[in-house]
Amino acid sequence: MFPGPTLMSAMTAILERGLNRALDLDPAGRQALMSALTGPVQFTVDAPLDLTLALLPGENRIQVVGQPPEDRALELGGRPMAFAALAMGDGQVFSEGRIRVLGDMAVAHQFQRAIDQLNPDWEAAMAEYIGDVPAHFLGQRLRGAVKWSREAFRSLNANVEEYIHEESRSLPGRRELEATFEDIDQLSLRVERLDARIRQAEPATDNTGPESL
Amino acid sequence: MSEHKESAISEHPSPGQPASETADDVTHFGFRNVPKNQKASQVADVFHSVASKYDLMNDLMSMGIHRLWKRFTIELSGVRKGHQVLDIAGGTGDLTMKFSDLVGPTGRVVLADINASMLEVGRGRLVDRGYAGNIEYVQADAEHLPFPDNNFNAVSIAFGLRNVTDKDQALRDMARVLKPGGKLMVLEFSKPTNPLLSKAYDAYSFSALPLMGQLIAGDSSSYKYLAESIRMHPDQDTLKGMMESAGLVNCKYFNMTGGVVALHVGIKP
Repeated sequence: MFPGPTLMSAMTAILERGLNRALDLDPAGRQALMSALTGPVQFTVDAPLDLTLALLPGENRIQVVGQPPEDRALELGGRPMAFAALAMGDGQVFSEGRIRVLGDMAVAHQFQRAIDQLNPDWEAAMAEYIGDVPAHFLGQRLRGAVKWSREAFRSLNANVEEYIHEESRSLPGRRELEATFEDIDQLSLRVERLDARIRQAEPATDNTGPESL
Repeated sequence: MSEHKESAISEHPSPGQPASETADDVTHFGFRNVPKNQKASQVADVFHSVASKYDLMNDLMSMGIHRLWKRFTIELSGVRKGHQVLDIAGGTGDLTMKFSDLVGPTGRVVLADINASMLEVGRGRLVDRGYAGNIEYVQADAEHLPFPDNNFNAVSIAFGLRNVTDKDQALRDMARVLKPGGKLMVLEFSKPTNPLLSKAYDAYSFSALPLMGQLIAGDSSSYKYLAESIRMHPDQDTLKGMMESAGLVNCKYFNMTGGVVALHVGIKP
């Protein structure tokens, strides 16, 4: 069975250390996450690996374990990409059914919000090792790189979308599609009305038929 | 330690061909047979000798992996706030420390060890790290535990059972002090499941371990005993059967690092 207990323990140890270090750098985020964790939360990753991880709230730390807790408050199940989207703050993962929720949905949303609000002060952590000025310089560069990457990704998305819709015409554009859907809806409505009228007219025909005979 | 070894009944089978127990009053000490009443004192001498360097040697010998084996044991224990936990052969307190965090101020952890030197090192280490209030220290023999019946939610023994003279009696006593529904966890060296790994492990155990012991702790014979005692310890299925005979149910084991170590778990009905 992969991963075995030793590897699994190594993985949970690394996750636990990383998570608690991140929480140390964001006291407000820690408070939000601790209040969202009313009990153990279990994550069941379906594929490509069947993994079970759980977060157990402690006094000041969060424990990460590889065993399903007995008294879990919430269980979230899904594919790794769905969990990655959840961690990146995608609020649609629950409504689109990419993540299954067993337990209180409100707790799931509260947990998702707490994860989304986490904003560790990496610059302060770096400053402990390399000093304030270099840390601030690096922090600015990193923030700039992240901002540029996001904008570049957004711009790339828009360009690809435009090419597919407007230049190659492989797919119809959103407005064009919406107009077509509107026409289909109108047609469907008119057919339904016509159908209702025919039904209304049919009994009269049926009643008069036998009498005339 | 060497004085006790010299006075022991001595048979020297070649490695891999351990001596068979021929009489009821004789047990094994590594690959040698010794009178049962002498094994405890000889094991005690081993641990008196290595106590001060125990943690460092554990890290070196296992390359730090013993922390992961212990972590898995803690995860599987299901110990929660308010629980009563007994850590037998707790040594320098690795498991006790984690259990203490889990049970909180309303729970209790008893660190028991037959060896005063190990207990002293363990107590010093825990106190230095600020662990106090919910931990008790007891010098106790695993075969005759000084606790009432049905007393603990969980009992653990990590890398200690192979040093116990009468393992069946020890397992029965551990089952006795567990509450109904309580969990016994035995973390111990075992038999590698892969023949290639087994050969590499043998070579490492019988050559590197005594050398490391000599260089770091100044005592190669204790680490030669460690390697020998691991080979004499019952394999996974035998130990599982012994736990069932001691009255535990739902017994199962988890091989770790290819079976070099196995965690056995059983529940008191």
